[in-house]
Amino acid sequence: MRASGVSKQVSSGGQPLTILDHVDLDVAAGESLAIVGSSGSGKTTLLSLLAGLDLPSSGEIALAGTSLNGLDEDARAALRAGRVGFVFQSFQLLAGFTALENVMLPVELAGLGDARARATAALESVGLSARLGHYPQQLSGGEQQRVALARAFCGEPQILFADEPTGNLDTITGGHIIELMFELNRARNTTLVLVTHDATLAARCGRRLTLASGRVQAQ
Amino acid sequence: MNVFAFAWRRLRRGWRSGELLIVMLALIIAVAATGTVHLFSERVRLAIGEQSGDTLGADLVYRARDPLPASLQASIDALGLHGTATTLFSSVVFAGDNSALASVKAVGSGYPLRGAITLAAAPFEDGHAAHGVPAPGEAWADARLWQDLQLQPGAELQLGRLHLKLRGVITDEPGKGAGFDDLAPRLLINADDLAASGLLGVGSRAQYELGVSGARDALARLRAEPLADGVKLTTPQDARPELRNSTRSAGQFLDIAVLAATLLACAAVALSARQYGEKLRDEIALLKCLGARRGFLTRALLLQLLLLGLAAGAAGALLAYGAQELLARALGDLLKLDLPPPPLLPLLEAAGLGLLLLLGFAAPPMLAARNTPPLRVFQRSESGSTATRAITLIAMATAAALLWLATGDVRLAGWVLAGAGGALLALASCAWLLVRLLTPLRRAAGGGGFAWRFGLGNIARRRGATIAQVTALGLALLALLLVSVVREDLLSSWQKKLPPDTPNQFLINVQTEELDALKSFFAAHGYADLQLWPMARGRLIALNGKPVTADSFPDPETQRWINRDFNLSWSTTLNPDNRITQGRWWGEAGRGKPLLSADAYAIERLNLKLGDTMTLDFAGEQQTFTVSSFRTVDWDSFKPNFFLLAPPGAVSDLVPRQYLTSFYLPHEQRALLRQLVTQFPNVTVLDIDALMAQVRGIVDRIVRAVEFIFAFTLAAGLAVLLATIEGTRSERVRETALLRTLGAGTGLIARGLIAEYAVIGALAGGVAAIAAQTLAWVLAANVFHIAYGPRPLLWLIGTASGAVVVCGLGWLSLRSTLRTPPNTVLRQS
Ligand SMILES: Nc1ncnc2c1ncn2[C@@H]1O[C@H](COP(=O)(O)OP(=O)(O)O)[C@@H](O)[C@H]1O
Ligand SMILES: [Mg+2]
Repeated sequence: MRASGVSKQVSSGGQPLTILDHVDLDVAAGESLAIVGSSGSGKTTLLSLLAGLDLPSSGEIALAGTSLNGLDEDARAALRAGRVGFVFQSFQLLAGFTALENVMLPVELAGLGDARARATAALESVGLSARLGHYPQQLSGGEQQRVALARAFCGEPQILFADEPTGNLDTITGGHIIELMFELNRARNTTLVLVTHDATLAARCGRRLTLASGRVQAQ
Repeated sequence: MNVFAFAWRRLRRGWRSGELLIVMLALIIAVAATGTVHLFSERVRLAIGEQSGDTLGADLVYRARDPLPASLQASIDALGLHGTATTLFSSVVFAGDNSALASVKAVGSGYPLRGAITLAAAPFEDGHAAHGVPAPGEAWADARLWQDLQLQPGAELQLGRLHLKLRGVITDEPGKGAGFDDLAPRLLINADDLAASGLLGVGSRAQYELGVSGARDALARLRAEPLADGVKLTTPQDARPELRNSTRSAGQFLDIAVLAATLLACAAVALSARQYGEKLRDEIALLKCLGARRGFLTRALLLQLLLLGLAAGAAGALLAYGAQELLARALGDLLKLDLPPPPLLPLLEAAGLGLLLLLGFAAPPMLAARNTPPLRVFQRSESGSTATRAITLIAMATAAALLWLATGDVRLAGWVLAGAGGALLALASCAWLLVRLLTPLRRAAGGGGFAWRFGLGNIARRRGATIAQVTALGLALLALLLVSVVREDLLSSWQKKLPPDTPNQFLINVQTEELDALKSFFAAHGYADLQLWPMARGRLIALNGKPVTADSFPDPETQRWINRDFNLSWSTTLNPDNRITQGRWWGEAGRGKPLLSADAYAIERLNLKLGDTMTLDFAGEQQTFTVSSFRTVDWDSFKPNFFLLAPPGAVSDLVPRQYLTSFYLPHEQRALLRQLVTQFPNVTVLDIDALMAQVRGIVDRIVRAVEFIFAFTLAAGLAVLLATIEGTRSERVRETALLRTLGAGTGLIARGLIAEYAVIGALAGGVAAIAAQTLAWVLAANVFHIAYGPRPLLWLIGTASGAVVVCGLGWLSLRSTLRTPPNTVLRQS
């Protein structure tokens, strides 16, 4: 994964606003990177650009060896399918779907076989084998985030993007989630991009990138 | 906290966040659509009513057997209305050596106040609208009198002591019925000549009429005044049965459009309120946590509803006023109707409808949200009771009230409500079955067609929403299909009741010895199977053995009817335009038996029961008959029909009889009539071509008006459907964004969406088609009295069009959510 000279501008209220300013970044396969910085420094924006959820105003981004520039929305989605996993601050499970169905989704989207078996195994690995048929509303926040972790790893992604995965959880539950995430990451040798404003958490990653007002302050 | 302040703040916030927008929009569309249709059909109805004033010669006619009281004329003058007096009586008219009994009508200047007399120079020539009335000393006569007296233009006529110059042939005249009650030939004279004739002395029988026309509100005030003894009021609607039926049917067709619009409104508001109620649950749980009491929540919710209802009602009513005005501007010329100004009452009703809709359809699901336990703050699945049964009952009761209010026609509203209720039940059960059926798809994994499995699985996943959506969409489609079925099938069968070859000529006074000659005359001119009906004229002299005269009956209509001869015919077979309602038709077995079959009008006038006996005097020959069956007769069929029928052989051979028939004569063959009267001079020709054209014109106009209103209802229905689908937008946006981040392409998401909506649409459409057709069939049989059979093709069309329409609307509404950028997921909480 590579970003070179990436900038992002948006116009808010007619005035151009620079959210990211010439960010250069290189993440090798299997590496883990923490993006840190205070709230509003552009962490989420950078993550969404790296994952191809959005396009930069200028600069180049390559994901899994493929340049994202010039790819349309669908092509970028196809690139993500089966390669990329996500964990969000607000869990983002589909309400009408059971835990199992939520976890099966990326596998099915990637067209991999055995969705059910994989999803069951993934939920087992996060300790939720007893909650397969439960709906997100029936699960606590920590349990929901565990389902989200299962979903993220189930498709055996090469890269995992996590945006403040413990932001909505208490310290103890958050700690469990983090342990689980690093454990799964280690076992699968997944590339990890973790956004956080927690310094101890960032310390557990192989590298850190500090953002301030959209600029790389330290790497 | 102050409830009002809270409700107000809540409404403003809900408005800004858009969640109330859908409820409000549905409500406004509902009020606007019903209001527009209601208002416009009210105007069309009024206009059609006035139009038939042309056929009566006035907007209102007062009738009495004595000169009308001077106070009536005073009221007419005081209200600024126009009045014109007419006197009718029978008298013998002489022309040279010939004489004939004529029905004389003496008219004053200004007659007719509405419509026109058509006048021709000679019999069977084309007529044109006459200017004014016959000058004093002159007379106009109809073709029958010309024929009976063998008149030439300018001939000298004698009426009592009066000598008149003949000036024209009346080919059409307002107030002339198509039945056989007005058989005597007409002579029209100037009212100023009346006294000179010396015919209206003491004890002479005459009918005095006063026609009135003028401004609508003045007419309404005149109608509200009490009638003097012996005075009867006739309005255009009851002037002629065939027009009365047409206007009544027109009213009912318009009612159906109003009902359909109302149903649509109910469906839209119910669905959007349900969606809103679901959204309210989180908030209510939170408020409860913060210490809000139930009473506070109830008051706050009701207050919100009230404010919402008033705003939507007012906005909808204003929109309705504008829309119906646009409709009227656009269609006024096309309809050839002089639309009266819109009545304002329906507007108020429409605004009130907003409130009623809210209370019946929006309040229950919203108030049910009060049952949400505060625990939901932690566990979103705790939803509390939804009290579905109570909600359904309240909704049904409200729908009943709405339908009844919309039409005031209990029977029509009842049928439509029963139909909608049945459809609702069927829709909900089918939706439930569908959810059941599709549940395995949620678990099926692997293999191709993930998009389909995903879309169809979603139907099963959103169980509650699916059932609600299928029901609401189905109800809306039912309304749409109903108006299109009614338009297609019912309207055209109604129009077909007067096919182009409907008889426009009647022949009467055919004597027994002329029968064969007449038949061969017609056979030679292409009318091979002309059916001739025998007819004897009798006078009712006793009912159940008790002697009767006109004075035995209190009401003037029966008195007038009794005073005339009854026309009695006989047959073993019944024409298709007759239907036995009580008793049995005698068929072949009846030959020679003294039985009678009476038509509904005779039953009503004489208050008949089965088994009553009627004694008739046929020119001295008296015979008693027993009433053995009741019939209804379709008088609009323009075929010979009789109030009284007997079996062949029941009427003594000594009784004089004549024959009559009707047939269709194309305009270009009118010369045949001249040939006919030359060859059979004493056969009388009744030419009702002009009347037919008038009736057809009115029917065509009504059909066109109804079609436009239906089209409008259809458009409103589509808007409602769109609104219900729009209600799911925020959920779709969230879902699409997430699927995107997980790597789903636009195509896959779109296919899933289409699969979901196609199945929901097909199901809703299929059930709606069957329901619409059943309802149309019931309405055809019970309300419109026209033949209508099932058309299975419509079920297919309904299913397919349901799928296409719902898919199309879903696409229209949710297409933009397909482009939701995936990074919105990162910005939501
Ligand atoms: N679409 C947008 N329009 C306007 N401002 C935006 C937009 N997206 C992000 N921002 C702004 O950019 C800055 C960085 O946002 P974000 O990347 O979410 O920061 P972080 O995740 O580090 O808290 C914030 O000030 C945010 O308000
Ligand atoms: Mg952020």
